[in-house]
Amino acid sequence: MAIVSFRNSEAVVNYGELRVLVVDDYPSMRSALKMTLSNFGVTKIDMVGNAAEVLFKVQNNSYDLILSDFNLGEGRDGQQLLEELRHRGLISLETVYVMVTAEGGYEKVVSTAELAPDDYLIKPFSGEVLRSRLDGILIKKLIFSTVYRHFEQHELEEAIVGCDLIIKSKPRYVVDALRFKGEVLNAMGRFEEAEALYKKIIQMRAVPWARLGLAKSLFSQKKGEEAEELLRDVMEQAPEMVAAYDLLAEVCLSRKDSAAAQEVLQRGVAISAKTVRRQQRLGEVAFENGDLATAKSAYSSALEKGRHSIFVGPADYGHLCRVQVEQGDLTGALDTIKQGKHVLQANPDAQLVSAVVRSLVHTKAGNTSEAEKAMDEAARLSREGAHADERVMLDYADACMANGRHDQADEIIRTVARNAHDSESLLAKAKQIYENSGRVDAGAKLLKEATANVRTLNNEAVILAHKGDFKAAVEKLQAACWEAPYNGRILMNAVWVMLKCIETEGMDEVLLEDARKLLADAEKLDPGHTRLPTLRKHVKDVETRFGIRRRNA
Amino acid sequence: MDIDRADLSAALMHELKNNLSLLAMNIDSIPVIGQEAHDHQVDDARLLCQKVIDRLQQALLIYKATQQKLTPAIDVYSPMDLLHELRDTALSLARGRLQVEVHVADDLPEIWFFDRTLIEMALINAIHNSLSYAKSVIRISAHRDAQNLIISVHDDSPGFPEHMLQSFATNQPYASTGTGLGLQFAQVIAQAHENEGRQGRLQLRNEHGAVFSLIVP
Repeated sequence: MAIVSFRNSEAVVNYGELRVLVVDDYPSMRSALKMTLSNFGVTKIDMVGNAAEVLFKVQNNSYDLILSDFNLGEGRDGQQLLEELRHRGLISLETVYVMVTAEGGYEKVVSTAELAPDDYLIKPFSGEVLRSRLDGILIKKLIFSTVYRHFEQHELEEAIVGCDLIIKSKPRYVVDALRFKGEVLNAMGRFEEAEALYKKIIQMRAVPWARLGLAKSLFSQKKGEEAEELLRDVMEQAPEMVAAYDLLAEVCLSRKDSAAAQEVLQRGVAISAKTVRRQQRLGEVAFENGDLATAKSAYSSALEKGRHSIFVGPADYGHLCRVQVEQGDLTGALDTIKQGKHVLQANPDAQLVSAVVRSLVHTKAGNTSEAEKAMDEAARLSREGAHADERVMLDYADACMANGRHDQADEIIRTVARNAHDSESLLAKAKQIYENSGRVDAGAKLLKEATANVRTLNNEAVILAHKGDFKAAVEKLQAACWEAPYNGRILMNAVWVMLKCIETEGMDEVLLEDARKLLADAEKLDPGHTRLPTLRKHVKDVETRFGIRRRNA
Repeated sequence: MDIDRADLSAALMHELKNNLSLLAMNIDSIPVIGQEAHDHQVDDARLLCQKVIDRLQQALLIYKATQQKLTPAIDVYSPMDLLHELRDTALSLARGRLQVEVHVADDLPEIWFFDRTLIEMALINAIHNSLSYAKSVIRISAHRDAQNLIISVHDDSPGFPEHMLQSFATNQPYASTGTGLGLQFAQVIAQAHENEGRQGRLQLRNEHGAVFSLIVP
């Protein structure tokens, strides 16, 4: 039986069908919530006490509703949990996520611009209120189900058509549909349309999320000044909306004002310190600014808060060590390596980070023989195909250059440049290394050559895909992946054209396996990338459509 | 160690409120057995428990408003959904002793912009009062005028006492009874809602009973 059915055109929710996961760190609250739910007919209820258990549960079960407390004690909070679930594609847009919060915390939940929960409830609430809210959300989910399905299948045009239909025919959901459409338009790069849409919403009422969406579309059209003015205003109006701080930091960076960017990120961290990626960004910006104390504390909290998070890895230990080396705190750096031992030994990629930071420490300490040993180890791991964060590798290249290992430095920088052909800041840093060592011309030539091929292949593939010639586009992007196996954008483009190629040309199992592998690689590089969930879903859809079951799934 | 006294009381209220909500859920699970002496006691306990929870919630919000300005988190909501939610809450507290009616004007907009949490708190407060004083019926209604959404709670009680309306009209502080505090609270919430320079307000009057209206621009 469906969860929502219609009797005499009146929507009726069949709560007996609803599969619910209750998340609260207090056992007494859990059983109270269970009782409340069972009072209106919910019988399928699982209960867990923390985020880690949720991740385990959702991988083995399907839920229609997750009812989670915002405060989950140590570790992740309810919002971080929601973000991780959606980023990893563990729950679909049709899964209802309701946040439970104390009255002091509801602004924080309301101010979540992206990946907001479907609704929030303030403790304590009665069964009647919970039921009445769920009725509303479940009916809304039904109305939006076609839109969600299209969106998750990467059929964005169709998703927009679905939104337009709702805008025209369902006045109750006009603003919800406009909001979703705005996000899709921004994601598709149709910024002018997004701008017009958000302005239309703001005419109704200047709600903070619409102003943030508008700022995003303005910034993407290189109207940084307008975006900044708007964002500063949003921060006045809704100081809890941390996404505004993150975007403003990017705006500041784009006008090369990294001091302002750091200040804004620090304010964001003061409001919400738990978000690992904000701490990482702060660490990076502060490091660039030479504010080593701030960089150190940001990277340290990223490691501390991000334990067990998919957003934290060996590179974070590497970055903290880089800061400590720069501070001259070599004992501290060695301590960090020791603390991160379990992570830094886990695989060749992590061992590479470890070897690089040890080479930095020993170079700084003047232990030439130890430094040489670590550099040799890094060189070997690199040759064998290990890969580490680009900024870590550039520090390594710098150390090689300083030790007279020019060939090795060139090789590292060539690889970094290919994998980061679209990153202005990394290429600038590479250029700097050549300037410092007095090899300016050699550096310019090397960087130009390294990026040219990847860029050309990618551009050609994009044109071919637009013309519908997916087969030729696949070939171009396969070549590009071969050149730049750690270039996130190239990898994801490749996955997409491979799947489109299968859809238009018919099943090709080798190609599908290739797409899966590339997607896994892209996932490792940047687990939070916004394109990943749709690509993952796309793979699944192709598998279902052609009746293929994944081995070891 | 230096403990901020205000923070300490806020934390204490918070804990009391959480314990009370567990108590409220326990009361909810006591079955109706059809004996006036028993059921009536349970209903009274439930209503009182909700009132205390409410009062604590208000106190926490007022505490917050004194620390920093009360900024409503405005978003889009359906007035109809709000009315139904209020009706369900009122019905569960009335337990069949009173009738609860919802009256929806034909021109009621499908959506409106407001802070649902705050508006709901103010209205639930009014409903609690009506539950204590109404003879047989409470009516929750909503309509719009040119610029505002107007949500009202109307009962068939003897109405607001004259001195209360007087002091409300002249903006005098009331005697420190619970009712007065609740009304003050509702007024703060209404006034925190602003749109295009117009401020929300609270209106009290007697018309075959007490009428409590929130006017939301």
